[in-house]
Amino acid sequence: MSDCKKCREHMIEALYGELAPVHQDLYDRHRAACPECEAEHAALAETLGLMAKRQRPDPGPEFWDGYWDKLSRRVLWEATEEGRGPSLAGRVGQVFARLPRWAYQTAGAAALLLVGILIGSRLIGPSGSTATTGTPGTTAAVSAPAPAGAVAQAGDFIERSKVLLLGLVNFDPAVEDAYAFDLGGKKAASRVLAAEAPAIRQGLNEPGQRRLRELVTDLEVIMMQIANLESGQDVDGVELVKQGVDSRSIFLKIDLDRMARDVRSAPAAGAAGPIKKSQV
Amino acid sequence: MDEDAIIEGMTRGDQRAFRELVDRFKKKVYYLALDMAGNPIDAEDISQEVFLKVYRSFGTFRKGAKLGSWLYRITYNASIDHLRRKGSAPEAMADEIIEASAGSDAGLPRRGPADPAEGLESHQLQDRIARALDKVSPQEKAVFVLRHYEDLQLKDIAESLGLSIGSVKSYLFRAVRKLRLELGTTALISHGDVS
Repeated sequence: MSDCKKCREHMIEALYGELAPVHQDLYDRHRAACPECEAEHAALAETLGLMAKRQRPDPGPEFWDGYWDKLSRRVLWEATEEGRGPSLAGRVGQVFARLPRWAYQTAGAAALLLVGILIGSRLIGPSGSTATTGTPGTTAAVSAPAPAGAVAQAGDFIERSKVLLLGLVNFDPAVEDAYAFDLGGKKAASRVLAAEAPAIRQGLNEPGQRRLRELVTDLEVIMMQIANLESGQDVDGVELVKQGVDSRSIFLKIDLDRMARDVRSAPAAGAAGPIKKSQV
Repeated sequence: MDEDAIIEGMTRGDQRAFRELVDRFKKKVYYLALDMAGNPIDAEDISQEVFLKVYRSFGTFRKGAKLGSWLYRITYNASIDHLRRKGSAPEAMADEIIEASAGSDAGLPRRGPADPAEGLESHQLQDRIARALDKVSPQEKAVFVLRHYEDLQLKDIAESLGLSIGSVKSYLFRAVRKLRLELGTTALISHGDVS
């Protein structure tokens, strides 16, 4: 093996200062005697110097502060999905994926025929018959989901979570007896709430319910944390939960949600009649 | 919490140990994913996927291994999977080109700007470095990034990526040569536009 080849073999270790002293001496002597290897070493060292000037963009403190929250939501979501198994939509999708192409063509033709019959019966049939079949408005009213139910459920969930959290955050181990603090009861209650949360979240699928859904998710994560506190007097764990409640501004979000629901449930200004100038 | 305590806690399924692990390694995992994937959105996604895998399969962690090495391995594999899914594995430079240029500056493209002042623009330099890194294969890039930016010793890189030390040295040498070729370092330095 030539000295140049040996030198190249050791070059990367030499450049990063990882070459064993016994090889370093030989390496340096060869470089001093071989202009080609010396030039190669110098060029690569320059490249490394240039690469050291590279700046990796920092996503910023907000990104890092919210990193755990995002991750814990994903962990929770995954745990919920695993427990649930494949969704109805997923199962239906799997069935459709197995169907041959002719089945889609036949179904398409049948659907077109059905639409044609429906349009024809409306145009040709007696005018009174439309009233018996119902107007599109009434059909929509019957088939629309009842978002108010989901919102009410979420409201109840939030209120119960708030009561539990207030008991927890107001506990001060410095002035109160840790053994009188009923952590076991709180853990049991939080387990119940955490179990209810996924169904409530799923009910909140309207575009305007994103914040409410996020609040339920936040509370679900916290309830899971409480449920997973160690048995006995896990004061450190309680502190962590408190910090989580504080960092996510949970009480502020709960109050804002309460205000929003109060505004929605109050009679509309228009319904009460126009405000007269004398009232202002 | 030291590394042993994290490992012990993770084995017991302790949520706080998991949080500690995430807090300790999130930046390292994110930046390796960023270097591999090339954009922050994918990097965030890959890094979170890595921690989900850790959470799901901590049982596969080998006792006595280094937590950091294990995480780098998962990040590397997740990044490679991501690149495959996206079909955006970087176009690696042919070895013949590298060999032809080795040991001689004659083959080096002179990519330095005609006007040296132009090269003083930092963002231009960053852009050129990013493009040069894109020309390096994923394996070479992972080895280079771990050595150059994460300051891992060659033997630790070998352990992290499941390679022999010889392979690590080879990947690293090729990576630096490709970068040299892409950047035309000599031209840049001699023009004095790299402060």
